[in-house]
Amino acid sequence: MDELYREELMAVYKNPTHRGQVADPSVEVYKKNPMCGDELNLQLKIEDGKIVDAKFSGVACSVSVISSDLLLEHLKGKTVEEAKSLSKDDLLKLVGLNLTTSRVACATLVLKALEEALKKYESTNI
Amino acid sequence: MNVNDIKKDFPILSRKIDGTDLVYLDNAATAQKPQAMLDALLDYYTMHNANVHRGIHTLSEEATEMYENARKVVAEFIGASHTEEIIFTKGTTEALNRVAICWGLVNLKKDDIILLSDMEHHSNLVPWQKEAEQVGAKIELLESNTGGEITLDEIKKKIRPGVKVVSVTHASNVLGTILPVREICRLAHDVGAVVCVDGAQAVPHLKVNVKNLDCDFYAFSGHKMLGPTGIGVLWTRRELLEKMDLYEYGGGMIDEVTYTNATWAALPERFEAGTPNVAGAIGLAAACNYLKSIGMNEIRKHEIELNGYALQELGKVPNLKIMGPLDAEKRTGLVAFYFAAPSSVVLPQDVEQRKMTAGHIHFDTIHSHDVAAVLNQSGIAVRSGHHCAMPLHKKLNIAASTRASYYLYNSKEDIDKLREGLNKAVQILG
Repeated sequence: MDELYREELMAVYKNPTHRGQVADPSVEVYKKNPMCGDELNLQLKIEDGKIVDAKFSGVACSVSVISSDLLLEHLKGKTVEEAKSLSKDDLLKLVGLNLTTSRVACATLVLKALEEALKKYESTNI
Repeated sequence: MNVNDIKKDFPILSRKIDGTDLVYLDNAATAQKPQAMLDALLDYYTMHNANVHRGIHTLSEEATEMYENARKVVAEFIGASHTEEIIFTKGTTEALNRVAICWGLVNLKKDDIILLSDMEHHSNLVPWQKEAEQVGAKIELLESNTGGEITLDEIKKKIRPGVKVVSVTHASNVLGTILPVREICRLAHDVGAVVCVDGAQAVPHLKVNVKNLDCDFYAFSGHKMLGPTGIGVLWTRRELLEKMDLYEYGGGMIDEVTYTNATWAALPERFEAGTPNVAGAIGLAAACNYLKSIGMNEIRKHEIELNGYALQELGKVPNLKIMGPLDAEKRTGLVAFYFAAPSSVVLPQDVEQRKMTAGHIHFDTIHSHDVAAVLNQSGIAVRSGHHCAMPLHKKLNIAASTRASYYLYNSKEDIDKLREGLNKAVQILG
């Protein structure tokens, strides 16, 4: 956990690039982590089967914010199919932190939101 | 009372966390165990283990005697008039469920009012929600004021004819507030209501006497008062025990059984089906005896002192907001807090609006999980989250809080370390 509070990660936490609102989102999902009360709102803009913009907002801890920011960075330009195939392990690798069991749920909140968003998108756009 | 001597009674307190001394400030979640309690468990399993009430052999006689003696010790510890009013449960949650289910189902009907407070732990809220749904009763709340207290005026206003049961916490696990249970009981009895008290946060810290409180049910857990997990107590006024439905059926709780019917054993066995948690009860009695040897009044005095010191010292941490009453004597041994967003931004209550604005403000606050993680780096154990009181956090408009809760083995030095750890958290995350 010690490496979590390194300066470069704290910079991501304090000023995440992908925080905010997407203009005219294709799909939007609001997720809560019942364990800690974290709230995450995820918006995706999808064009021609590709994620062209993604933003998050919410009330969340540093692990959740960092993980959201890194995931959304990774998602840009990916196809819906590629995004769908992202696993929990992929995300944890992307975040690159040795998280304790209780914090893994913080990191994966954004992934759960993504899964739900893609399902919602497909059910309304196919 | 010498804290340094007391510390020596608790083996775990000499543990290191990543090379630093453990500062255990999560006592409201569970307390650490003194050697005397651990010895009692080991002695039971090593020398006396047997099933109770059913055997003629020596070990069974010994185990039964130890188990029933534990009931006596616990009864005395909370000032119960009759030993058979003590029913062992697996914890406060089960005890409160028993009241809601076994008393509620027989005694509540459509449109009756169940009065709770707005600071209840989920375990004193959800069982009543289920019960209300089943019988068509209504839930009303005693609302706390901005100082985290429930005023006598509020209590007088809400306790009125139609209220059949008042079920409240003796001390809030978030705000620390000690509720005026005696006054609540007096007013409730005037309108013919019964009073159930969640004592999980009170019995470990205050000298509780159920007779003086004049309540009808009192529930608490062993593990928060130096005892083992898996043992708790439901004290019930004897007259009410006769009017309650049974909770579980099986061995140990019967008088006579035929293939088609059964009659019930005397109190309290009627309410304890199956093999009870014998070791747990013995451990709990050892914990009571240990606490008695220190003195509950001494412990209370010590915690008021720590409260005063914590309120003063944590108040120095930038942007830290303390929850609950700011008077050390009005709380038990805990202090929960959060880091405030700039006062110009308020988190909207409405979810739809929240989605749109939340992202713009949360970066100005420090999340309780991060606070707890940074504190853990200094060996300090605190709790973060909603502490099983989600509605209260929602009402106060905070996502989560951090809670430091102390006990007889904590010192002002621990509070100093906490303050330093919090300053470090502000430095890293603020």
